[in-house]
Amino acid sequence: MKNIWTIFKKEWDRVIKDKRLLFSVMILPGLMIFLIYTFMGTAMSSLNADKPGNIAIVNPTSAFADIYTPDEGEIIDNVITIDSTEIDTYKDLVDAGEWDLIIDFPEDLETGLVDGYQETLEIYLNGNETQSQIIYQTYRGYLDEYSEALSYQLYNDTTVLVFVIDSMTVDNNKIIGALMASLLPMLVVMFLFSGAMSIGPESIAGEKERGTMATLLVTPVKRSQIAMGKVASLGVLSLLSAISSFIGIILSFPKLFGEDIDFTSIYGFGEYAMILGLLFSTVFVIVGVISVVSAYAKNLKEAGTLITPIYLLTIVIGISSMFGEGANTSWWLYLLPIYNTVQTLIAILTFDSNITLYMMITIFSNLVFTALLILLLNRMFNSEKIMFSK
Amino acid sequence: MEAQVIIKDITKTFILSKKQQKIERVNNKHKVAVNGLSFEAYKGEIYGLLGPNGAGKTTALRCISTLIKPDSGDIIVNGHSVMTDPEKVRESIGFLTSDLKLEAFFTPNYLFDYFAHLRGIDENIIQTRKKQLFEKLGIDRFAEVKVGELSTGMCQKVQIAISLLHDPAVIVFDEPTNGLDVLTAKVVTDYLTELKNAGKTIIISTHIFSVVEKICDRVGIIINGKLLLAKTIGEVGGTEANLENQFFDLVASESEEA
Repeated sequence: MKNIWTIFKKEWDRVIKDKRLLFSVMILPGLMIFLIYTFMGTAMSSLNADKPGNIAIVNPTSAFADIYTPDEGEIIDNVITIDSTEIDTYKDLVDAGEWDLIIDFPEDLETGLVDGYQETLEIYLNGNETQSQIIYQTYRGYLDEYSEALSYQLYNDTTVLVFVIDSMTVDNNKIIGALMASLLPMLVVMFLFSGAMSIGPESIAGEKERGTMATLLVTPVKRSQIAMGKVASLGVLSLLSAISSFIGIILSFPKLFGEDIDFTSIYGFGEYAMILGLLFSTVFVIVGVISVVSAYAKNLKEAGTLITPIYLLTIVIGISSMFGEGANTSWWLYLLPIYNTVQTLIAILTFDSNITLYMMITIFSNLVFTALLILLLNRMFNSEKIMFSK
Repeated sequence: MEAQVIIKDITKTFILSKKQQKIERVNNKHKVAVNGLSFEAYKGEIYGLLGPNGAGKTTALRCISTLIKPDSGDIIVNGHSVMTDPEKVRESIGFLTSDLKLEAFFTPNYLFDYFAHLRGIDENIIQTRKKQLFEKLGIDRFAEVKVGELSTGMCQKVQIAISLLHDPAVIVFDEPTNGLDVLTAKVVTDYLTELKNAGKTIIISTHIFSVVEKICDRVGIIINGKLLLAKTIGEVGGTEANLENQFFDLVASESEEA
């Protein structure tokens, strides 16, 4: 036990006492994620922000103006009246993306309808411009409303089907939970893996390549203790790295989803403790896999090459959280590492009633896999073919 | 004389990769690095393994240190077999070879403590041994300088200090003066003589005749993995020139046989 602690401490010091490494492992991931997601959020919100539209109307009617005139506090569009002779000029502007919409009402529309004429209304938009399409959709809605109003005036009530939309009160927590469950598991698995990837290969393949591992192997310390010390320290360091990324994403959520979504308060201490416990058990499986691959690799470069496909595979497993409704209900699937973490996280975030069972199976499975990986690593440390292959 | 290291008919074969076969210009996939090697090293003596590059010296020493296992035969170090009790062997051995490196990021002070803790040495003894070895080898002024920033000679001295921190009964040094300037080399050879006088069993490998002649009590000449001569320094004539002549005669007859 003392030797495991000594090895743990040395691995810990290697990262903590190296300012550059500490920055790149503990601070940079969180900082980068915060900046990237904040940038994405800002870009998306500026894209979706309602901008005032430019609408030119030929022969406007006061009844239609009453419909589109905004309420107080709403965005005021630039609606102008143009003469029919100016249509071509404005069409050119629409084509150039400098104007959004032209609505050409026939002259004396309302009188014509009363007299029994079927009137035609022309609309001109630019299908290549998002803003033009958005304004078209909005004004199409106003025109439908206007059309109904005109029908009512002419034929009285034309409504044959009445819609009454009713639903139970929206549970905000459930909506936010579902949103988190679709997004977070993939990110969490990615953060854990990338955290472990930034230090694991260096600690094993790097030491092997540089010959510092051999210095350790000529001491009487048991290979199993070396394996346990390395996996334990790499696990804790990777978890801290993942927490840094996690903090980064939490801080960027208000920008990403809007200031009014406060997901931190919908989960209590229990949920947070479960998430931490789950991540703690998962990180050792990930570190175990990375350590075994790193021990097998001849050098640091080969370790990186071998680990990348495994990383991509875990991301694919993480993406599975975006499909399906809620956590998987087949208990035996919780024996599969990484997949079980993704599904259990979904269960926690969506307040699944079977969470205790899922959590127990997942942690049990992760412990068994970690033990098996440490045993394998121990065997590899004992193999001169693997440890001293050139 | 009490034999503290007994090498009993060990053989070690390596499988060469295609690339290694090309470099060594051979078609055979298997390379016999050590072939039926047997010798003994006694308490309070320095045994020198002399041989050209690729003769099998380092492989033999790596087998003694338990880094690799012989394919056949056995080695008994301080009463323990490398085949069945490697951890006990590691406890009583101090091993130095160019393949063993120290982490460049840490200081000699940190690494000394780290390896001493791994060997389960008491804190008080660690500090006493550290002071003693660092002073002896002139490391004390560089104790807080990162290994990566030390010169080759100083690095070698730190490596020596760490290999001896547990005061081992058996010391196995592979080319201990390789790459060192004459002053540093003298510090090392003088210290080895001092350790021999303190009753340690020392095995060194070298291809430098003067080192053998100056500090070794007995010499074993190894060529192509086989021990072709094992005599005391007195028996080989006691001078560097005599040793050199016998060595070249053996190399010539071995290449004729090949």
